[in-house]
Amino acid sequence: MPFDRPAQRPAFLGHGVGLRRDHFDRVLSGPTLIDWFEIISENFMVDGGKPLDVVTRVRERYPLVMHGVSLSIGSTDPIDERYLDALGRLAERLQPAWISDHLCWSSVGGHQAHDLLPLPYTEEVLAHVVSRVQRVQERLGRPIALENVSSYVSYRRSEMPEWEFLGEVARRSGCGILLDVNNIYVSARNHGFDPSLYVAGVPVEAVWQFHLAGHSDKGLYLLDTHDHPVADPVWELYAAAVRRFGAISTLVEWDDQIPAFDRLEQESERARVIHAAIMAEAPHAVVVA
Amino acid sequence: MSTDFNLKATQTLFWGLITAPEGVRPGLEEMVRRGEAGPSDLEALIAGDERLPAADRLDIYANMYFYRLFDCLREDYPRLFEACGPERFHNLITDYLLRHPSEHPSLRHLGARLPGFLDGHPLGRECPALADLARLEWARTDLFDAADSSPLTRQDLARLPQETAGSARFRLVPAVTVLRLAHDAARLWTEMKERAAAPMAGLAVPGGGDGPEIHSGTVWTAPESCRLHDEGPAVALPRLPRRDTAVRVWRRGFVVSHRAIDLEEMDGLDLLRDGEPLARIAQRLAAGRSAAQVTERFGRMFQGWIDDGLLANPILAA
Repeated sequence: MPFDRPAQRPAFLGHGVGLRRDHFDRVLSGPTLIDWFEIISENFMVDGGKPLDVVTRVRERYPLVMHGVSLSIGSTDPIDERYLDALGRLAERLQPAWISDHLCWSSVGGHQAHDLLPLPYTEEVLAHVVSRVQRVQERLGRPIALENVSSYVSYRRSEMPEWEFLGEVARRSGCGILLDVNNIYVSARNHGFDPSLYVAGVPVEAVWQFHLAGHSDKGLYLLDTHDHPVADPVWELYAAAVRRFGAISTLVEWDDQIPAFDRLEQESERARVIHAAIMAEAPHAVVVA
Repeated sequence: MSTDFNLKATQTLFWGLITAPEGVRPGLEEMVRRGEAGPSDLEALIAGDERLPAADRLDIYANMYFYRLFDCLREDYPRLFEACGPERFHNLITDYLLRHPSEHPSLRHLGARLPGFLDGHPLGRECPALADLARLEWARTDLFDAADSSPLTRQDLARLPQETAGSARFRLVPAVTVLRLAHDAARLWTEMKERAAAPMAGLAVPGGGDGPEIHSGTVWTAPESCRLHDEGPAVALPRLPRRDTAVRVWRRGFVVSHRAIDLEEMDGLDLLRDGEPLARIAQRLAAGRSAAQVTERFGRMFQGWIDDGLLANPILAA
């Protein structure tokens, strides 16, 4: 199945949070304020055991999105077919609303960094990434979404800003964009660009999902730690993003120093309030499927 | 293909620098010495500024690389971490990651080679029991997400035709394994768990030197060379006598358990795994025993396997 045109944006899921082990029992024990959950795909690409059982039961109650960290779409290593097999099997089991990963590379020479490493943004690398995205989409039989990563380095060889590169990957491959608002802010501070330019530069029709998360201020740079509440400037940028992109499924990530579930619900509710207020201001041009 | 060459060269240099154990600048110097990079390659690759030079920016990734993997292994090997102490464990993991960088997209497999690596590592030679403790911890981690199954129950067993019982070939469920160890790591594991449960009884032995004996055979010693952080008391390495033991590790439902077993049970489980019928397993118990003793011994062992959920439905002889 060819995927050479922008895919239709999936249905709006509302406001979700990342499903983490600390909250398994709470999520299964009764109602929550959460509309949908996102899982880290690799944590559930296993044969059995409690986590797989829990996520299967969560899926019976909530929409689910599978978010991967090891696709390594920008690597020069061959695409890992066994990884795609396992990802496909998990998708078959969980029937996610969509599958996402990151616009980055994480492996080289057969070795895994388990990190989201940035790419040089050149025409050559763009063609490389687009061909791999198309290959993955054909293999999985569905379009995927790619997320912008936080970065601490930029390459002298880059020929275009990240938002232009990301938009072109989406346009040429037909993939969606998972726009991480916190990552935009972190990278903007680390590299000295205006984050509003990023939001303004991403094609509206390609964005499927927002991520929100906390970061840490290390003095000389911001670190994407996911261990704090969402920072005020990121909430402001989120509001700007909702104004531009409209009703986009929004997810709060909190992966370290994980708080009680009700604190996470509060953070998600804050996103819901901001989103609702802006959506009430004026109708948006974006048509939601 | 210039794209592949340039991007691959970029990623190879990036990888080499962020995985250098002493940091990016010494890593670059080492790569230059080996002829794998030029002295200006980093500056030509990464845009730095006065606030954050290129090497400092890459060091952010280098630190995250190590500590992400370190934290994963610390989580997979909590008792090994405790037995080694933070400094020894840190150094062990540094050496391990240099020898065995991750090759799997999931971190779940990162620690698979650590027990074998410990066998040949100076720390493992100083304290051979550590490798067996690691084997036990890895087996427990490995079974945590092994395939689910519906184990055979006593009720299922009662429904089997009695005349075929002796020739029935039972199978083990996926979530069971038997370890052959050179030290009684199961007892060490239990002792450490009990010590952890008693908050005032830390691992450190006050005053250093040989520590108190904990049950028979396990002695904690405190070497002078390694201390908990800078000011903490010395961490005692477990000193266990060599003793061949067998441990079965299994998961029932979602609970992973382990138990030391005797050589007869280990032999029985091996035969079961090899597809031998029950009668053959009972035969192996016959040496030096009366028929009644064999029946009693075999019955007890077999019921234990049923009650612990080790057996899957049998293949019955035609």
